[in-house]
Amino acid sequence: MTDRYSEDEAIAAVARLTRTQLIAFVEAEIVSPHRAETGLIFRQIDLARMELLCELSEQFDLGEDALGIVISLIDQLHGVRGELHAIAKAIEGEPQEVRQRISAALRRAHEV
Amino acid sequence: MSNDPYAALGLTKTATADEIKKAYRKLARASHPDLHPDDPTAEARFKTVSAAYDLLKDPETRARFDNGEIDATGAERQERKFYRDYAEAPGNAYRSRRGYEDFGDASDIFAEILRQRTRGGAGGHDPRAQGFSIPGPDMRYALEVEFVEAVTGAKKRITLPDGETLDVQIPQGTANGQTIRLRGKGGPGYGGGPQGDALVMISVRSHPVFRRDGDDIVITLPISIDEAVLGAKVKTPTIDGTVNLTIPRGASSGQVLRLRGRGVKPAGGQPRGDQCVELRIIAPPKIDEALQVFMEDWRKTNAYDPRKGMTS
Repeated sequence: MTDRYSEDEAIAAVARLTRTQLIAFVEAEIVSPHRAETGLIFRQIDLARMELLCELSEQFDLGEDALGIVISLIDQLHGVRGELHAIAKAIEGEPQEVRQRISAALRRAHEV
Repeated sequence: MSNDPYAALGLTKTATADEIKKAYRKLARASHPDLHPDDPTAEARFKTVSAAYDLLKDPETRARFDNGEIDATGAERQERKFYRDYAEAPGNAYRSRRGYEDFGDASDIFAEILRQRTRGGAGGHDPRAQGFSIPGPDMRYALEVEFVEAVTGAKKRITLPDGETLDVQIPQGTANGQTIRLRGKGGPGYGGGPQGDALVMISVRSHPVFRRDGDDIVITLPISIDEAVLGAKVKTPTIDGTVNLTIPRGASSGQVLRLRGRGVKPAGGQPRGDQCVELRIIAPPKIDEALQVFMEDWRKTNAYDPRKGMTS
């Protein structure tokens, strides 16, 4: 049962995080913990996300709305990168000839 | 890392607090791993810059550093996991379900990606549909269930601190960490969009007797010396209740006996797993004289070396 953190444990684990911030993140729906009978449950991805959110909000003075936009763009970027990795891996498994044709097509796309 | 936090920020000791903040922001923007997921050197650079800033942003620690009371690593933080370490994983719930609508039918590959993403989601919305509608958000829940409930399946109700309840049918053979999707139990949609789903992450409590290894149930069964030597029929707990297990003559600790079909029934009609019973010989609580004399006598003619080949 690792990778499960209560609200208190999350605040302890993320040095910069205050309870006020945590509640604000959850209410703004930029962090989505799991809801349970014992309260909120956070996972490591939520902690890493809140650490990033704290940095963005404190050190770059981002307000909640700007924070929401920035994190959504970051999520989109990661999503696209994830898909790109998947496609690259799928291409890797193709025969040499197919890979060469794809490379050629990519080169042409960049030339335009 | 650099021993001079001022140098790390490209500054000198005369820098003002404002200059420190400005320099940090500029460098952090250029090196934050989450803003540069493709740059493997970003983490090291960001750590150096952050450590320097952590030290210098506080006038008190800055003064202590200037006075030589603490060194530059005094403020270095421990190993940190960045968001990007998780963010690209396929299960990341923060990953948007959309993003390729504008690729249209230009490519089957993107159609496939889009299909994967919306699979099980709150229903893809049709961008050509009249008016403006958005499917409701998925809601996430966590639920702890007993070991046996996860194996046999159960009906559970989550009662949240705010009084809200959610009924969850735990399917037979649910594993720890598995997420159950309840369609239409999430947040309401907007403008006639469909309701989102409830995603329930299941944690399975550990059991004092049973453990799980895939579809097999594993237990450690203590047996006595005489049962090990002579063989025996002993009562063994299983998920379905107690059964008689035959211990073969001359059983050893660590030996695994298999009770076929006494394991977990996985979803999807596959056959049930087995129960694996690992034997563990327990010495008698008291070694009486008769046993001692017998063993000493027995050893004279029957000594054997179970550690043969282990030591030189």
